[in-house]
Amino acid sequence: MSYHIDGSRNSCALHGALQLIEAIEGAVPVIHSNAGCGLQHYLGVNRLGPGTDPYGGPPVSSSNITEKHVVFGGSSRLREQLKNTVKVVEGELYFIVSGCSTEMVGDDIPAMTKEGLDQSFPVVYANTPGFRGAVHQGYELAAKALIEQLPSLSKDKPEQAENLVNIWGIIPHQDPFWAGNLEELGRLLEGIGLRPNLLVGYGHGPEDWRCVPDAVLNIVVSVWGEAPARLLEERYGTPFLVVEGLPVGPAAGRLLRAVTDLLGLDASRTERFVEAEEKRLDRQLSGLADTFYRAGFQREFALVGESSQVVGLGEFLTRSLGLLPRTLIVTDNPTDEARSVIKERLAALVEDWDAEVFFSEDHAEISDLVVSGGATLVLGSALEGKAAETLGVPFLPVSFPLADRVVIDRGYAGYRGVAALLEDLGSAILARPHQ
Amino acid sequence: MSEKQGKHIAIYGKGGIGKSTTTSNISAALAEAGYRVIQVGCDPKSDSTTILRGGNDLPTVLDTLREQSKVRLEDISAVGFGGVLCIEAGGPVPGVGCAGRGINAAVELLQDLKVFEEYKPDFVLYDVLGDVVCGGFAVPIRDGIADRAFVVTSSDFMAVFAANNLFKAINKYAPSGGARLGGVIANSIQASYSKALIHDFAEESGVPVIGYVPRSITVAQSELYGKTVIEALPESEQAEVYRKLARYIDENNDSVIPKPLNGPELKKWARKWGDRIFEVETGVVQKMEAI
Repeated sequence: MSYHIDGSRNSCALHGALQLIEAIEGAVPVIHSNAGCGLQHYLGVNRLGPGTDPYGGPPVSSSNITEKHVVFGGSSRLREQLKNTVKVVEGELYFIVSGCSTEMVGDDIPAMTKEGLDQSFPVVYANTPGFRGAVHQGYELAAKALIEQLPSLSKDKPEQAENLVNIWGIIPHQDPFWAGNLEELGRLLEGIGLRPNLLVGYGHGPEDWRCVPDAVLNIVVSVWGEAPARLLEERYGTPFLVVEGLPVGPAAGRLLRAVTDLLGLDASRTERFVEAEEKRLDRQLSGLADTFYRAGFQREFALVGESSQVVGLGEFLTRSLGLLPRTLIVTDNPTDEARSVIKERLAALVEDWDAEVFFSEDHAEISDLVVSGGATLVLGSALEGKAAETLGVPFLPVSFPLADRVVIDRGYAGYRGVAALLEDLGSAILARPHQ
Repeated sequence: MSEKQGKHIAIYGKGGIGKSTTTSNISAALAEAGYRVIQVGCDPKSDSTTILRGGNDLPTVLDTLREQSKVRLEDISAVGFGGVLCIEAGGPVPGVGCAGRGINAAVELLQDLKVFEEYKPDFVLYDVLGDVVCGGFAVPIRDGIADRAFVVTSSDFMAVFAANNLFKAINKYAPSGGARLGGVIANSIQASYSKALIHDFAEESGVPVIGYVPRSITVAQSELYGKTVIEALPESEQAEVYRKLARYIDENNDSVIPKPLNGPELKKWARKWGDRIFEVETGVVQKMEAI
């Protein structure tokens, strides 16, 4: 039966690709589509997020094709647009992404890319029509395009870094805390002697992407990081480690130990590092104990977000903080295979306690599930605010889209993320202390 | 769209089957009978109306649209034999762009230019490229454009296959106000079994055959002169065949929603005819209706 999706939080593949490209410092997106695709991305993502990346937003380069280009082909318009972009914007990498109309018509984007390359412009492309999938597939397509096309772009290989580890699966803006989460995961990996390759965010540009094949390991922290990791395994034999959920608190320690085992690192060094982090966390938790009991932190919660957030935050809230999961809603449409893994992980959160796990991207359905579940604490996107209001319970916005909080480098991953999560969660509960 | 002027007829059929020749001859016969006729070629090859206008050049709607922002009717039309207004939709260079969208854009432009309101035709004939290859080529049979569609087919299986595909498209659009099928025009009738084969296929699909056009040297000869048979050899038997078709289209308003054969049915039907033809060619004697 067909049904309509109300207020989906998953934008299209083109937007997912743009989100990745805009977060790569020095990469300039060139959209080959009709007018409106780029602006829609700005209105739907940038404006709801922490702001606009340097080459994104309304002034993004776009071929803005019209009917003439649909009928007669729009390749020459793209050629012109690429030439103009190179003149106006000084970038380290120009990344052509295509929309639905140009893909339907079959414009020869690889040929236009090659023309750009022949003129010594650093150009790559990805076919990212919205009909190929949602924001997550767009991230995968753009990441795979970079892995496939960057090596042939320049003959001077960057200096090979030792113990390099790439991190995949955190989609800029789709995870509102992407920058902070990556920074923290990077800090932790550095702590056990590795060199993290975060790939996106401040200070991470095309050079970092060119080092991707040199990595000794690819760490995948959401189901959406598997496609690039598999491609790298196929191309370069690089092993990958999938953790499915964002590692929050002790899960980060488990990740560091697993990486240590896999790469044969100095285990005692890792133990020392993890112990120090755990000790710090314990101290923070015990400092909060009084407030925890006084204000009644131990609640039954509803959690709505991407699979990696629901798994990661869900595990921490239950196992470390002692809260009980009431309604868990995964919004990123993982594959059937991934769903069963996620369900298994979430079902085992608390012994003898059945948390209800749902997969939905429909705003109305999600709101109904949250309200009928009767949680006493709601974590989700701004869209779930109303459901929390109906229930009259504390609400913490943690997933995309966020409408009323600014996030710059805050993150909930790792050990440092726990403090941020506790600050935010505690404040939300204290602001509404009585049920 | 404002009130429709005249009868709008779409003629479909597999490429190379003689659609344009048939359509042009019908246009010429209608014009000869005193009607005002517009023929719109909906094919990127843009050669639908060639024999109506002595092979002269005619800029296509889409080429003109590409070159200039404001298009006038005189830029994209030519008056051919008997006053038939000839228009070619045109299309992109092969291999680029979207010809289907081109047909859509061209038909829209004709409506914007109020061609039909101003020219006040009695008949508008759309000569549309072969198979219904995508939604764009189905534009003429969608709601509000043509009232009836006719399909030209020979007894070749691929032509029948294309006709069956067109039936599928009509079957889809007709219930929601799209064109219904006026009938089948059997073209290039030469082999002994051709007539019976097309007749049988039409009967299976629940559609009438409105005429059988024999293969004739007069057609080839007239085309070489850049003319329709009606113009070049008006006294010929072939000219009379086309006049008969034109009279049918003029006087008869019947239409049906065809029942296209599905994949296995069409395959079974084709096998049946494969066997029959073999028997005819090898001289097996048995009772065979219509052959």
